[in-house]
Amino acid sequence: MIHETFAATNAVVTLDVALPDIFWGWYVTMNMWAKSIGTGLIFMLFLLHRKNSSEMSGLRTPAIIVSFVMMNIFLLFTLADLHQPFRMWHIFFYPHWTSAITVGAWMATIFVGLEFVMMAMMIRKDKCLLTKNATASFDKLLFWVTLLAIPVTLYTAGIMAEATARELWQMPTESVQMLLAATLSGSAAIILLGGSKLSAETKNFFASILGLSALLAFILYMSEYIFGSMKAEEVTATLAYIKGDGEYATMFWIGQWVAYILPMILVALYRVSKSNSILTLAAILAIAGLWVVKHVWLVIPQLLPMS
Amino acid sequence: MQLGFLVDLHLCMGCKGCEIACKVENEVPLSTWRLRVKYVDVGTFPETKRTFTPLRCNHCENAPCERICPVSALHYIDNGIVNIDKERCIGCAGCVMACPYGAIYIDPETQTADKCTYCAHRIASSMMPACVVACPVGANIFGDLEDPKSNISIYIQEARGDVQVRKPEKGTNPHHFYTGAGNVHLNPLASQRIEGYNLFNKITHLPLGGHHE
Repeated sequence: MIHETFAATNAVVTLDVALPDIFWGWYVTMNMWAKSIGTGLIFMLFLLHRKNSSEMSGLRTPAIIVSFVMMNIFLLFTLADLHQPFRMWHIFFYPHWTSAITVGAWMATIFVGLEFVMMAMMIRKDKCLLTKNATASFDKLLFWVTLLAIPVTLYTAGIMAEATARELWQMPTESVQMLLAATLSGSAAIILLGGSKLSAETKNFFASILGLSALLAFILYMSEYIFGSMKAEEVTATLAYIKGDGEYATMFWIGQWVAYILPMILVALYRVSKSNSILTLAAILAIAGLWVVKHVWLVIPQLLPMS
Repeated sequence: MQLGFLVDLHLCMGCKGCEIACKVENEVPLSTWRLRVKYVDVGTFPETKRTFTPLRCNHCENAPCERICPVSALHYIDNGIVNIDKERCIGCAGCVMACPYGAIYIDPETQTADKCTYCAHRIASSMMPACVVACPVGANIFGDLEDPKSNISIYIQEARGDVQVRKPEKGTNPHHFYTGAGNVHLNPLASQRIEGYNLFNKITHLPLGGHHE
């Protein structure tokens, strides 16, 4: 439609001062990436607890610490991205509940608070004032934290859905992508953290989650890439930035290869060879590539002129 | 009461009087605009025509900016205007991302979101918005959409089918209308943006909202 219009009218903008600008840049990418790892680790810890809790003995403390650190990185970048960071408290004192930003800020704060309690229990096991059996309490709390991790990881998809101007970010696709980002990065992180503490069977289990998450996320991106343009003019124009010689085409494919395609291949190789190095490499690539994938998808709709 | 705007594009001659009046009235900083007039050149020389489209906040009935604002800095007031409380805004730019019309910007001086408020402060004193007063040809028609005898309601009735809004598919129900508009006026994707084709080239832009690219 666009090209037909051009040919018929030869319309060229000769004055429009409000040029498109990237308002949500790499700070927001950091936010989504760190949150995926933080919540994903909790999901994996819960799965490990259900599958084989005896293997959790050396993993509770490092996993909760890494998750807590990643969630704090997420909060730090969220705060830093505000143009008025010292007014962050307005979210808690003047909350507007139709906004996914508000709901997310509250849930993430509670989530991080609970993680802090879990971390404190594990670090100060002997002197823990809260409970005499820190490990059992940790495991009980893990269930509720896992439940909370679901909306915490999903709420960014809610924000993207509320961004009416950006046609590319559709619900429920973004929700599924957020969950897959969490399972991909969470499984990768626990593989790296677990190392030799994990049995071969458990490693296989997490490798399967890593591979399947990569496959499903890749399918979703490719579906959008191939078929997205067939429904909406704005999506066509947005996807042009990652097609052909588009501004973000190279970065898009680097992300797809590093986050999804290579980890999928490496997981398949690991299942044949049982080489831990291959699995470690798959995990590192998945975590690094996820940042690139998220960044491209965040930026390209912002390049489109709105007026 | 539901205040609304209608721009008669048959009358608009792109003088930018409205733009300047708005700048002065609202002390809009450099590099930012609450209201601006877009020029699109159509056709091939010598059969060419320049079109003019004043663009401002659409004060939507179902405003995405109001919905996404985490602190209610963007809020409806009784006369239907979507207003902004700059003291409450945290500068998350959610509204900038949500507005399908590109009508919201981050004020580089206050570091908060800002946009056209239909000159809510003037309306509170029973005055017309600054852009309406400044327009030399009366192309900006402003009034109460719920009053069938208001200027804007009569204009809409007389224009019959020739009343359009920007991006109706977004479901925002704008309270800002156009008559005499074509696809080139209202659809940003219906025209090309070619480097060097602007009336003013090599423009220096002050850093605005995109501070973390």
